[in-house]
Amino acid sequence: MTVEVTPTTFTYVYFDSAYIARIAQRLIGLFHLENHNIRIDVNETTPLAKMHIEFGDPIVINIQSGAFEDFSRPRQQSEPATTQSLGRILLKVRDRLSPEFANAPADEDLTLVQVAIWETYCVARLSRHDIDINRQRWLYNFRNRHGFNDASDRAFEKIWNSNDLTWEQLQDISNTAIALVQ
Amino acid sequence: MRKFFPVEDLARDERFNQITMNDRMADQRTAITTDSRPSRAANRIVPSRGDASDAARGLMHGIFVGEIQALEGAGRTCWDFTTGEEAPFELKLDMARQCWDEARHVEISIKLSDWMGSEIGEYAENTVLFQAACSNDPVLRLAGVNRALEGLAIDVFTTMKEFGEVAGDQYLEFAEDWMLADEVTHVKMGSDWLRKITENDPERRKKALDFQSVVDKLFSYGGTRSESQESPIGLARRFRELAGFDDQEIDVIADLSLAALEERKAAVLEAQAAHN
Repeated sequence: MTVEVTPTTFTYVYFDSAYIARIAQRLIGLFHLENHNIRIDVNETTPLAKMHIEFGDPIVINIQSGAFEDFSRPRQQSEPATTQSLGRILLKVRDRLSPEFANAPADEDLTLVQVAIWETYCVARLSRHDIDINRQRWLYNFRNRHGFNDASDRAFEKIWNSNDLTWEQLQDISNTAIALVQ
Repeated sequence: MRKFFPVEDLARDERFNQITMNDRMADQRTAITTDSRPSRAANRIVPSRGDASDAARGLMHGIFVGEIQALEGAGRTCWDFTTGEEAPFELKLDMARQCWDEARHVEISIKLSDWMGSEIGEYAENTVLFQAACSNDPVLRLAGVNRALEGLAIDVFTTMKEFGEVAGDQYLEFAEDWMLADEVTHVKMGSDWLRKITENDPERRKKALDFQSVVDKLFSYGGTRSESQESPIGLARRFRELAGFDDQEIDVIADLSLAALEERKAAVLEAQAAHN
């Protein structure tokens, strides 16, 4: 297993590639992804925080700099933000490699609702690894995609408390919540 | 009590980290792309944006710290000038009423931030708003704070109110709508007092309007606010009209904002060329 981070030296932000690699290695161990080579490409020209996976050898994770940033100290790296962002995307990598998620659409074909349910599922599992997560932030995101109502909150709770869902089960929880208010 | 309080001495607890406009300008990154396809270029804070929730949370925190500084600015105007000689009593009464509104807005913003999953101090506090309130002429403060700053608040609240409306978040929609109504009143106070005090002093009025233009340009820095969908915040023409801006004044701000956006795009192209 190798972990590579590019660029090795940052010019737009004050990030540390070795620090990013160390955090990634810890998470890779935690999620049993040691059999894969991973490269993390940080796009430091934008403050946005989008992430994207390209499967191959190595598995390439494209991350915009906002995903690792301390928003209270612009351009500085945040250890919690780096851990949370890498944790989310690596859990998504693990899901994608498993047969339970074989039918999940490609990233570019995911709807905003599908992105929200998958992210909720990822951060919920992260929170059970002693990684500090602001649950309300993700509940707000879920409500933005499913509506501000009880059915939406029940669906969120169900996903938040689950560990072994398939893509179809995730979709089913989401669809039920949306159908109940239509 | 001390008069004319410098921005560096604003009281904040350890949760806050303050940055200046210089800090912001030193950040060469930008969300604005040179890709002209509408789906790629749009940055407006709307629910259909992929990172809508986080973008709205960041803007909400910006509103929260802006309200604190607006409260501090209006409060200073009540205190810094001698009643009757430098500022009419009725003007101070309006500023006192504004303090009351801003204090309420701070509390509403904290509750909305909780609701959206943000923490106080999660984002940096740009102190540019209070800096606009440090002039030693009350008329310049009215132009810089009530017309430029509160004008921006109208644009921001309209963007957030529409966000809540489309997302179905009634708390956000209603709270922003109520605060928006107050901001329209604050801008109108500024417009009315500016006209009244400088009625027979065209030079002072010009100086105040020039100062407002400088502040408006600062608030448009990087194309943050304009009528283009490439800007995160839109220009709320209708509510600005209600606040006393005439069409020509709104056109000037629209042009200025668009110029700031184009300036930023040119800088992005230049930086990309240098990077490659």
